[in-house]
Amino acid sequence: MASTQHHPSHVLLSPAELAYLHDSLLLVPPIRPDGRGPNDFRPLVAETGILPGANGSARICFADGTEAIAGVKAEVERTARRAGDDTVFLEEGGGEAGDEREEDGEDGEAGPGALGEASGRKGERKGEAAWVELTVEIPGVRDDDSGTVFVAAMLSEALLADGELVRRLWINRRFHWKLYIDIILISPPLSYPLPLLSLTTHLALLATRLPRLKSEGDEDPFFDDDWAAAPYLFPRSPSRGRPAARPPITLLVMAVGNNILFDPSKEELAVADVALAVSVTSGASQAGPGGNAADASGPSQRSLRLLSIRTIDPPSRLTPPGVANAANAAYGAANLNNLGSSAQQQKAAEARTAETEAVEGVWRAPRGGASRAVLAALVGKVLEKGGVVDEVLDALEAVDLG
Amino acid sequence: MTDRRRINGPPGETIPPFFDDADRAPETAKGRFRPSNAIRKMFLKTGVTPSASGSAYLEISTSAKPGASGLKLSCSVHGPRSLPRSAPFSPHLVLTTHVKYAPFATRQRRGYLRDSSERDLSVHLETALRGAIIADRWPKSGVDIIVSILEGDQERETSRSQGDEVWEMMNALSGCITVAAAALADAGIDCVDTVAGGVAALVQDTDGDESQPSIVLDPVPSEHAKILAACCVAYLPTRDEVTNLWFRGDVPASDMELYNSLVEKGIQASRNANRVLVGCLTESVGEGDTS
Repeated sequence: MASTQHHPSHVLLSPAELAYLHDSLLLVPPIRPDGRGPNDFRPLVAETGILPGANGSARICFADGTEAIAGVKAEVERTARRAGDDTVFLEEGGGEAGDEREEDGEDGEAGPGALGEASGRKGERKGEAAWVELTVEIPGVRDDDSGTVFVAAMLSEALLADGELVRRLWINRRFHWKLYIDIILISPPLSYPLPLLSLTTHLALLATRLPRLKSEGDEDPFFDDDWAAAPYLFPRSPSRGRPAARPPITLLVMAVGNNILFDPSKEELAVADVALAVSVTSGASQAGPGGNAADASGPSQRSLRLLSIRTIDPPSRLTPPGVANAANAAYGAANLNNLGSSAQQQKAAEARTAETEAVEGVWRAPRGGASRAVLAALVGKVLEKGGVVDEVLDALEAVDLG
Repeated sequence: MTDRRRINGPPGETIPPFFDDADRAPETAKGRFRPSNAIRKMFLKTGVTPSASGSAYLEISTSAKPGASGLKLSCSVHGPRSLPRSAPFSPHLVLTTHVKYAPFATRQRRGYLRDSSERDLSVHLETALRGAIIADRWPKSGVDIIVSILEGDQERETSRSQGDEVWEMMNALSGCITVAAAALADAGIDCVDTVAGGVAALVQDTDGDESQPSIVLDPVPSEHAKILAACCVAYLPTRDEVTNLWFRGDVPASDMELYNSLVEKGIQASRNANRVLVGCLTESVGEGDTS
C-alpha cells in the first residue's frame, strides 16, 4: 500500500481529462500540456561545488520546482583480499611497482596520450561494485520503499555497468577509494524524479576531486594536502578544459502510440503506453587516443554507449477508467429490462464491447505491454546521433565546474 | 578450574586451513553443454501450496557442471481479496509483489529482511505482471504475490565468479516471472496472456579480445568467461508484446543491430519458457477434468 501513496499516478485527473491528454499527445506532432516539443527537456538551473564538506557536489533545480542535491564523499578503504586473487604483492619487489606508479601519475594528468597508454593496462586495474555506495532520499517516502530502491538501483546500475567509474577508484593493489554518493530530493516528487537525480549525480561526479596521491606503489597511501592540486575524478582534456570521459546519464522517455516524448512530466506519464529509463555514457576509450581530433570537431563526434535499460511501470495502468455510454446506467444500460429481448441482447453486446474494445474519447488504462517496434524506436531515438543525449550532454558541459 | 558447563572453543588461537591449490588446473569457464539457442530444462508444477489461492513451483535443471545448482522457485498467490478498510479506494486490483531469497539460497547468506536487490527484483516482477493482469475487473481488491527463491542459480565451489551476481539476478527474475504467471493462472486471475521471462546474453567464451562475442539464450555465468551484456524480457506471445525489459551491459550505441538481436533472442528464450508454462497449465486443467 505504501507504494501507491507516493505513486506518480496520483495526479488527480478524471478519466475525461486523461482521455483528452492522451488524445492530444497522440496527435502528430504531439501537443504537450506545457507546450514543449517532443524532444525538449524542461529548463533547469544547475550549479556545482555547493557543499564544502564533500569531494564533489551539485544542485539542479527544474523549472517545475523539483530540486535535488547530490554530494560525493570519498574514503580510503583497504581492498579486501580474496583467496584465488593474486595475493603475491607482499613478496614483490618495489621496482616494478614503482614503474607502474609513474605511469599512473601520467594517467592522473590525463593527457590524451596517457589515456591511451592507460587503456592498455586497464585489465589490471579492476574495481568492484561495492566500492560505490549510492543512496537516494525522497521526502515523504520511506527509504526502504521499493520505488526508491528501484530508482537507486537504476542509478547505481548505470554507474557500474561499464566498470569505468570503479576503475578510477583504484589507488593501488591494497587500497581503493570508497565513494559515497548521496542524493537528496529537496522538493516533494512532483514528477518521476529519475532524470533529475541522474543529472545531479552526473554533475556531482564531474565536480568530484580526490586528493593527489604522493605515495608510490603498494605502500600505504599518502596524499598531498594541497586541495588546489587535487585532480578531478573525471579528468579534463587539456585542450578545452573539459572532461574527456564523463559519467553516465539516465534519461526517461515514454511513448504514446507512435509518438516518443522525452522528459515526461507527471501528467504525461499518467497516460503513457510505455516508459523506459535509458542510461548512456559518452565513450571514454574512443575519445582517448584521438582526443585532439574529437575536441576539434566538436561534440557531435561523441561515441555513445548504451549501458542499461529498464522499463518503468507506467502509472497509467493505475488510472481510473472512464465509463462508455453503452455501459453507463445513466444512459440506458439500466433500462435493459424494459426493452424487448432482441434489443436487450444488442445492448448487452454493446456493454461487453465497452469492456473489451476501446471507445473513442473514453479513457481506459492500457493493458498488455509494448510492442517490440515501439520499444526499439524508443531506444533508437535515445541513441540517435546528434539527438537528445548530445543536447543534454552539451548543456551539462556548459555548467561551470568551479 | 576449567569451565565444564559449556562447550568451549580451543584455548589458543587457531589458523583456518588454507589449501594450496596452485597445482590444480586454473579455474576456467567450463563451456556450454547445450546449443546457444536452447534454454535449460525446466520443471513447472502448479497447485503446490494448498492454503494459497494459487501457487506454482519452478525448477531449472542444473548445468552439466557439478557443483553448480539450478534455480528453485516457489510462488504463492493470495487473493484477490478485499482491501483493508483503511486503504484508499482503488479502481484496480492492487498488486503487491514480494521476492525473497531464502537465507540459504546463495553463497553468501541472505538475511531475513529483504535487501535492496530483492526489493529491486520485486519491482521488476510487478512491472512484468501488471501488464499481463486485467486489473480493472477487480476494483477495491488486492492480491499478494510471494516468490521465494529456495535455491539460487550459483556456482558453489569457486571464487572465480566475482561480479556475477548481477547476471544471476536476471536469471532469477526471468524464473520469477514465469513461476508467478503460472501461479496467477492457478489462482484464476484474469490475464491478457501468459507472461514468461527469458534471458539472452552477449558472451565471450575465452579470455582475451580475439574471440568474437556471441549471443546465447539462458546464460549461466559460470559457463562463460565473460558476459558483456544481457537482457531479461517478459513477453506476451499471443499479443506479441513486451511487458518488462531490463537490459544491462556495455554496447556501442551505433550498434543498434546488436541490441535488437539481443532483445530478439530474449524474446525467443521467453517463448521457450512459455511453452513449458502452457504445457503445465493444460496438464493441470486436464487433471481437474478427470478428478
